[in-house]
Amino acid sequence: MPDRPSAAELADAVREFLEAEALPAATDPRLRFRLLVAANALSILKRDLDLGEELLREEIALLRPLAGAPPPGTPREQALALSAELSRRIRRGDVPRGTLEALRRIAELKLRVASPRYLERG
Amino acid sequence: MSERVQAALRERLEDLFGAGTRVARAALLGGGASMEAWAVDAETPRGPLPLLLRRAAGGRIYREALSLAQEFRVLQAAWEAGVLVPRPYRHFPDVAGREAFLMERLPGETVGRRIVQKPELAEARAALPAQMAEQLARIHALDRARLDFLPGARDEAPLQRSLDALEAQLDAASEPHPAIELGLLRLRRDLPRDGRRSVCHGDFRVGNLLVGPAGLTGVLDWEFAHVGDPREDLAWPLVRAWRFGREQLRLGGLAQPDAFLDRYAELTGLRVSLEELRVFELLGNVRWAIGALTQARRHLSGEERSVELAVLGRLAAEVEHELLSLLGEGGA
Repeated sequence: MPDRPSAAELADAVREFLEAEALPAATDPRLRFRLLVAANALSILKRDLDLGEELLREEIALLRPLAGAPPPGTPREQALALSAELSRRIRRGDVPRGTLEALRRIAELKLRVASPRYLERG
Repeated sequence: MSERVQAALRERLEDLFGAGTRVARAALLGGGASMEAWAVDAETPRGPLPLLLRRAAGGRIYREALSLAQEFRVLQAAWEAGVLVPRPYRHFPDVAGREAFLMERLPGETVGRRIVQKPELAEARAALPAQMAEQLARIHALDRARLDFLPGARDEAPLQRSLDALEAQLDAASEPHPAIELGLLRLRRDLPRDGRRSVCHGDFRVGNLLVGPAGLTGVLDWEFAHVGDPREDLAWPLVRAWRFGREQLRLGGLAQPDAFLDRYAELTGLRVSLEELRVFELLGNVRWAIGALTQARRHLSGEERSVELAVLGRLAAEVEHELLSLLGEGGA
């Protein structure tokens, strides 16, 4: 569906509402904290909508040499299948060469969606 | 609900603190689906008394956590041994329909970010590393025989048992996490098998410590107490997730860990080097990564719907990143 606002634009609209209108009106500290968490969840959602597909493809490319060819399916299903296969191998003590480096790069991909500032803090 | 709790308490408080004691206020402070915390202000014949009531909230308790009755017994043992804890008063099987226990309500700050950053707590931050070591030394000297109901109390090798439990918890999250698997594999190889065992707090870190201007005033949140390796407790406050924006200060955003470890060695004779602690810091990160996934599952399964818990499922990536860094430092 090409209609606007797009999913990412809607996520932004709700986040801006929480930050600009709901948060200043909230006095209870617990509620304020949850509003900030909710706004953060919407930022994650927006980044996932913008970047998710591309990052899944990168993740699959990183996992392939470690866990074999992915089964047919959506990128999400393929990433899950490869990740599960690599997990099984590691669990039985069989760690393919290059695993640590690949997993670090995958963690960075996840953080670009979940917590980009974490990467900047170094 | 407040009136019902207040009414249920009145009689019990008279019994505890003398005839004529009344409840001036009972206010729900917060809590999740499994536990409530009530601030209770009592007027006793000897004057006002601030109390805190921990009460079951009806939802399912964490599988790994102690029951309220057990937590109360641990708190009693800690109090009698001189650990800085709120004075425990009594456990009640039924307060307005649910289990609860009553303890002293101590003043102080618990919010990690404030403890680590507030200018007026600078003196407290300087004192905390040695004070934390002193409390851990006392906790680790608690009599295991008296707390034989604790998880791990009957295990010869509590570390191996923790790894099995963590693996089972990861499997229960039913989502593949090869980074965590790699951490578990390293732990299976590198965790010492020298069989040290003591009573451990299980969640000893900035955020679960009550802090006043002169430093530590109370050790809180005992529901994860168990019998384990004392080095688990020493490494847990180093885990990066509890540094609250001051990442370069590895002991909870307060300081480098040296003074903390030195004081602990002075008191217990157990000298733990930074290098030896590294594998326990890895254990802490693996435990918190799995903990974060598990908390997100509480939301996803409908057990406790909460945006805070939901987001933890994604923030687990931070912990994975950190544990991979620790693995990299240790050689691949």
